[in-house]
Amino acid sequence: MQKYETVIGLEVHVEMATESKIFCSCSAKFGGEQNEHVCPACCGMPGMLPIVNKHAVDLGMTAGMMLNCHINRVTTFDKKSYYYPDLPCSYQTTQWFAPVCVNGTVTIQTANGPKDIRIKQIHMEEDAGKLVHDEWTDTSLVDFNRTSVPLIEIVSQPDLSSAEEVVAYLERLRSLLRFAKVSGCRMEQGSMRCDVNLSVRPVGSTKLGVRTEMKNMNSLSAIVRAIEYETARHIDCIESGSDELVQETRRWDDIKGKSYAMRTKETAGDYRYFPDPNIMPIVIDDEWYDRIKASLPEFPEVKKERYVNELGLTEYDADQLIQSRQMCDCFEEATAQCGRAKEVANWLISDCMKILNKKQMTVDALPISGKALGKLIALVADGKVGSANGRKILAAMFEEDIDPLTYAEQNGLIISNDTDNIKAVVKAVVAADPKSVEDFKSGKEKALMALFGKCMRELKGNCDPQVLRTVLLETING
Amino acid sequence: MDKEVLRRLEKENQLQLTDTQKETVLAFLNQQHSQLEKLSAIDTESVERMVHVMPINTVVREDVAMQKFSREDLQKGAPETMDGYWQVPRVVE
Amino acid sequence: MKLMINEGSAGEKRVALDDLILTKDLPTTAGSKMLDGYVSLFEAEVATRLQKAGYTIGGKANVGEFAIDLLGETSYFGACAKEDGTLVYAANELLEKGEVCAALQMDVNGAPRRAAALAGQYYVKPTYGTVSRFGTIPVACSGETVGVAATTAETCRQVLAAVAGYDEKDGTSLPQSMYTQPKDIKKVAILADITAAADADTQAKVAAFQAFLESKGIACEKVEVECMSAAKTAWNALMAAELCNNVSRYDGVKYGYRTPNYTNIDELYTGSRTEAFGDVLKTMILFGSDVLSTNNYEKMYDKSLRIRRVVAEAFADLFTKYDCVLLPACAKQRYTVEDVKADQYLACQEALFTAPASITGLPAVIAGGVQLVGPAFSESSMLDVAQCYGKEGK
Repeated sequence: MQKYETVIGLEVHVEMATESKIFCSCSAKFGGEQNEHVCPACCGMPGMLPIVNKHAVDLGMTAGMMLNCHINRVTTFDKKSYYYPDLPCSYQTTQWFAPVCVNGTVTIQTANGPKDIRIKQIHMEEDAGKLVHDEWTDTSLVDFNRTSVPLIEIVSQPDLSSAEEVVAYLERLRSLLRFAKVSGCRMEQGSMRCDVNLSVRPVGSTKLGVRTEMKNMNSLSAIVRAIEYETARHIDCIESGSDELVQETRRWDDIKGKSYAMRTKETAGDYRYFPDPNIMPIVIDDEWYDRIKASLPEFPEVKKERYVNELGLTEYDADQLIQSRQMCDCFEEATAQCGRAKEVANWLISDCMKILNKKQMTVDALPISGKALGKLIALVADGKVGSANGRKILAAMFEEDIDPLTYAEQNGLIISNDTDNIKAVVKAVVAADPKSVEDFKSGKEKALMALFGKCMRELKGNCDPQVLRTVLLETING
Repeated sequence: MDKEVLRRLEKENQLQLTDTQKETVLAFLNQQHSQLEKLSAIDTESVERMVHVMPINTVVREDVAMQKFSREDLQKGAPETMDGYWQVPRVVE
Repeated sequence: MKLMINEGSAGEKRVALDDLILTKDLPTTAGSKMLDGYVSLFEAEVATRLQKAGYTIGGKANVGEFAIDLLGETSYFGACAKEDGTLVYAANELLEKGEVCAALQMDVNGAPRRAAALAGQYYVKPTYGTVSRFGTIPVACSGETVGVAATTAETCRQVLAAVAGYDEKDGTSLPQSMYTQPKDIKKVAILADITAAADADTQAKVAAFQAFLESKGIACEKVEVECMSAAKTAWNALMAAELCNNVSRYDGVKYGYRTPNYTNIDELYTGSRTEAFGDVLKTMILFGSDVLSTNNYEKMYDKSLRIRRVVAEAFADLFTKYDCVLLPACAKQRYTVEDVKADQYLACQEALFTAPASITGLPAVIAGGVQLVGPAFSESSMLDVAQCYGKEGK
């Protein structure tokens, strides 16, 4: 019988996938040289005024709708003050008084079955910059590229009770937000980050224990380790009556496998929130609300059910596809084009994935259009293009936006019905290789395959294999 | 208002006052506090706060990225830089 | 006495800019050691529009540190005063000497209005949102505006027309479609209780202007509006809070002054700010921070936001019966170096006269040493009165 239970609430920061930053027009793209995506506003210079990026609000609302939140029809921005070198204005513009979304739920699945996790609120805010520590000069170097990139912070209620649930919750958030194209949610790039608020109490107690907040975990496995470590530390402190258990912010060191109290935030003091006078309230009217509502994707599990029940995919194939919104979109478009769901799924899951892996690209970056893929699959299925040549065309589609039929024609990849030509080629191949012919006649089936391969190569693959086989046998048997 | 509160305010705002300044500032803060207390005579229970003086809302822009300033220009007046970064003493976490 | 911190171009139609309005060619200091020599990479929208309309930027007029003081006395570059110790505001002194034909001034806590009244010049503080604040050093964004000072009301009107209008780079800029046609001024309310707080000389100025108005057939009535004096306390709190937040960006990291004496980040911050900011500014930063503290927010900041609406509604109520109000712009007719030495926070007291228009964003016009405050978009009607006063009133 377990003596203690863990109570966990999460604050998840997600960078929204916009082109530009939330209050200025600098690029919000990941990467770039240090301080390349900056302007006077991003480096705290006076005189620029914030103008809200509409798409950021779109995505904030989208996130809220995906998590069953109530959308505040009047949402406002506020300023939060503290000094830190990665915060160029010494204030962060965030939402304190009227966040864009409140009161949502996310249903997670674990070995114990489904569980609803309540969302307290989702607010929009600007990201801070990045500090790099230079060992040689013993200084910190400041990069403002990420400054003002739009974020949402998803604040859960303390409804989670284990590392397993936390992982299920984060995976569910990631899946939903990626599906709705709110964010790539890439923890390794910092576009999804998580602070864990954790306390421990005796089973049956209704009073919450002392709460600590842990930061700096950049993978799911690190989060699991951190929760396990911190839970054990809390229990140790409770049992030994140690005074080391205090409400504080701690930093997780994944290499050492330990959490440490953070010193800097102690002095941060009062954040002194107040409404930003330079940003007018955002009023979300019915038209705006309905437009976002209409743009929401089907939930992944709804898609899966449809793929299996209506389109006849296997559970496995459907599971593969719903890993990514891009895959699903491409699948649906291609199926609409050619009507061959199973083949489309095969091409996507095996051939396209192979090319993506080779190119070290993520599925989210799938560069081919579903329409073109559908056309290609139809060409192969209709016997107009050989399957090996089909793959060649697919590879070309990853390089540039081409029409498969035009490309096949221009590159001589169309199967020919010219039997005279096939007969001439077969005749020449048979004449040039009497040994294989002899071998075949003496019962070696393999010799026929060699001849067949030679013919196909001569014909550049543009021949129906059935036709070729018939002609070859006719020629050999005289 | 006491010196303890003033010390917190100084720390919060990265300022350090001399002892004489502290006296002057405390006197000023106390004066402002008593004036602000007088505002309670005006009943504002049912009055909505007024953050903006003009009744406009939803001032937004389209999501288009533009780069108009170079790092070199932005760092021209910087006290200290290194390799295109602004440089500060090491920040310990 | 340093009137211009940096001299601009010579030529016709020279206009001085308060040194909080950013220019690309000349440094902009906000009267602070923190920004001594600071050159912006972009210029204020008003500077661009001014030059497009054929004016030249004559230079950057000295201002008090972040323009929150009485008459520029807290400038890092020194106060401007006459030999007898009378304080003058740099921009108005430049106008007086004929070095410029107009000045663009930041009206944060009424200093340009006070100064124009004392100098017997004209000043228009336009309706909030009609002149872009893009490229002005932010201090108290919810109420500050760029205004125009000149020796005639007509020049104020012309220069204002050159710089005013919608600007998409300022999120508080009003779309032109919202502008309304002002009514002619036929009836004026004199704010009696605020006027009574001024000295006899100043009250005489109000009386003289009243006499002028009445001579033009404009009816004047004395009114007492209790909440008007609350605007002072509330605006001081809002202004200080916004100021505290807006100047927190000056920390010695990215640009501007950095202390030579530091071994860690906190010493860098504290040393730079402590060495570069003046006493009055420091006090106002601490006051603003105090107002925003969790413990005080409701009873100080939130309360002041509600008082703002109370004052705005009191004005709206007055404007159902009157076309504008008349009140002094300051308590007396002369301020000296000694006065601000005796009370360095004098500007906070003087806000009694200027805060009603600051906290509400309503337009105000200075003429004949007094102040008119009208409903939104009424500045041209008030300038009509001022222009008439200029021709016939003296």
